[in-house]
Amino acid sequence: MTNSSLTTRYEYGGDEFVFVQLSEAMSLEANFKGIAITRKLKERNLEGIIDICPANASYMVRVDPDILHPDDLIRELQQIEDSMKDLEIEISSRIVDVPVLFEDPWTHEAVMRFRDRHQDPNSTDLEYSARINGYNSKEEFIQAIDASPFLVSMIGFVPGLPWCFQIVRQEKQIEVPKYVRPRTFTPERTFGFGGAFAVIYPVQGAGGYQMYGIAPAPIYQKEQTLPDFQDSIVFPKQGDIFRYRSITREEYDTIRSQVDAGTFTYQKKEITFTPQQVLEDPEKFSEMVLRRLYHD
Amino acid sequence: MIKVLKPGLQTTVQDQGRRGLYEIGMPPSGAMDQFAFRVANLLVGNHPNAAVLEMTYIGSELLFEQDTRISLTGGNIPPKLNGQSVPMWETLEVRAGDVLSFDFVRSGARTYLAVEGGIDVPLVMNSRSTYTLIGIGGYEGRALAAGDVLKTGDLHQCKVAAGTTIDKSYIPSYGKNHEIRVIVGLCSYRLTEESRQAFLETEWTVTPEANRIGYRHNGQRLKFVEREQPFGAGSNPSNVTDLGYPIGSIQVPDGVEPIVLLHDAVTGGGYATVATVISTDLNRMAQIKTNEKVKFAAVNLDQALKIRREQNEIFNRIAESLSS
Amino acid sequence: MSKSIIAPLPGVFYRRPAPDQPEFVREGDQVNPGDVVGLIEIMKTFYELKAEEAGIVEKFTVDNEAIVDAGQEIASLK
Repeated sequence: MTNSSLTTRYEYGGDEFVFVQLSEAMSLEANFKGIAITRKLKERNLEGIIDICPANASYMVRVDPDILHPDDLIRELQQIEDSMKDLEIEISSRIVDVPVLFEDPWTHEAVMRFRDRHQDPNSTDLEYSARINGYNSKEEFIQAIDASPFLVSMIGFVPGLPWCFQIVRQEKQIEVPKYVRPRTFTPERTFGFGGAFAVIYPVQGAGGYQMYGIAPAPIYQKEQTLPDFQDSIVFPKQGDIFRYRSITREEYDTIRSQVDAGTFTYQKKEITFTPQQVLEDPEKFSEMVLRRLYHD
Repeated sequence: MIKVLKPGLQTTVQDQGRRGLYEIGMPPSGAMDQFAFRVANLLVGNHPNAAVLEMTYIGSELLFEQDTRISLTGGNIPPKLNGQSVPMWETLEVRAGDVLSFDFVRSGARTYLAVEGGIDVPLVMNSRSTYTLIGIGGYEGRALAAGDVLKTGDLHQCKVAAGTTIDKSYIPSYGKNHEIRVIVGLCSYRLTEESRQAFLETEWTVTPEANRIGYRHNGQRLKFVEREQPFGAGSNPSNVTDLGYPIGSIQVPDGVEPIVLLHDAVTGGGYATVATVISTDLNRMAQIKTNEKVKFAAVNLDQALKIRREQNEIFNRIAESLSS
Repeated sequence: MSKSIIAPLPGVFYRRPAPDQPEFVREGDQVNPGDVVGLIEIMKTFYELKAEEAGIVEKFTVDNEAIVDAGQEIASLK
């Protein structure tokens, strides 16, 4: 594998932040590089670091500049980057089954309410997205989302929102625009898509991503009553692998009642993998992931 | 106990903020003017991270149910105790039954009230700061409402005598025309050369959408360099592949209005950031009102760190003057 | 002696509760303390601007939907 497509830029975000852009375009390679560098930085336990925030094709570090000068941090980061030319790292994370009810009544109502803000007011978000990505029907499009898992490439915007990038070859990546004008309302737990990223909205609010469905289980729970939220109010972690599984209304209702009863847990498995494994053959890796999640 | 008779426009419990949680998408929250916040705590002998009340534009009306000492710092919303004017930036004695109220704002935008021991609300992820967007921290995760009753805590370190004040030269004055210093960078390469100039030369007007999340500025349209958008970035020229937003970073969605992101902001997204307000000037930003004028002035990192050291020095001298 | 109604905070000034409803008060109307004479929108909330003294509204000195400063006169009373 090569690093030739990536050029790193270091920038100051005021006196407390260092922003590092690994690539202008999104790619699995850029994301893995960010994961690798930020995990190494965390291990170094440098005094004066307040936040390490990995993103999609960039990352950001917040420092107390009275303790750690941003230029010293940049030297440290360059050294880390030089020391791992070939992304020879292992990533330990989780594979998670994330059920989604596509074409549900709640997001459909929101889809219809904001037609005037969409590029194609005469189609639904699913019909439009299927068409511009070259699928013959929305069913085929849903099938493509369901078929291959996604890498959680960044957490942010609001607490717990996962940006997810599908583990498929670049030419098979789905890409959709955001709404022409943002909506003032998006239901809680909406499954959406914008740019090259799938997301779940943790809370109800404004939004601009295409809306395809709704997840029955939360990814953010401030009351922390569900077992998956005992340690954090936020479920996703960068580096997780999410399989968005298309479910029926019946399964949706069953999971909702488990959530209400406080008994729901995500089906998940631990996994350790290397970026090379994924980049060399994304399809093979995806198949392995799904086998491991459901059959091993 | 302190009873809220009238809440004001938006009064929240705040401290230094909830740090270290950016990676889960949690902004720091915390007092918008950290300088005024820290001095307020000093004047009542509190621990530096004791929680205070932050009042915006309109002060609260509060009934104190026990004797205590308080201080008021920040923007000048003139305070009154039982209807009599009392000074800001000074340790004040209050008695059980006293009512604190405020006149209309004169200058600045946010006033801080510190009470001996700090406002006692549960710690949420190591902070008492209110983050209203998801309803955590502070008083039940929201701005105060009439009828709320606040308890005070035990984050009190030393008695400060009533009438103690800080040297007048340390008290900031808040005008209507503001120069806010920024470090240009991040994704500023996305702006055209002319627009990078225009960003620094325009006198911007703060719009009514100016709150703890961010300040929007009206002035002129900025242009981005035309290009074929990189994969994943989105279709608008102001879009980039979704990235992290530093506190104080400035973005210009569609080139229309520069937005300075502040303490309750979203932590990331797909708009090109073009500059970042330096940490000392975030405090000054907190005291800017809607319809006031802002010019962004470029500094480099060395200058920013020098300004930061000078500010720290001022704070240390205030702390020393109060402990002697 | 002339009296004024002053905006206590900055924001967008509205003379009507909603675009399709009549104005709170018109020039020439009598107002009493506590009467709402307009709204000021700031930080996505609406603040009710109330008369503090009794009088007759002589003139609104700012336009509907204008951005006003804290301390700015909104209307004069006589």
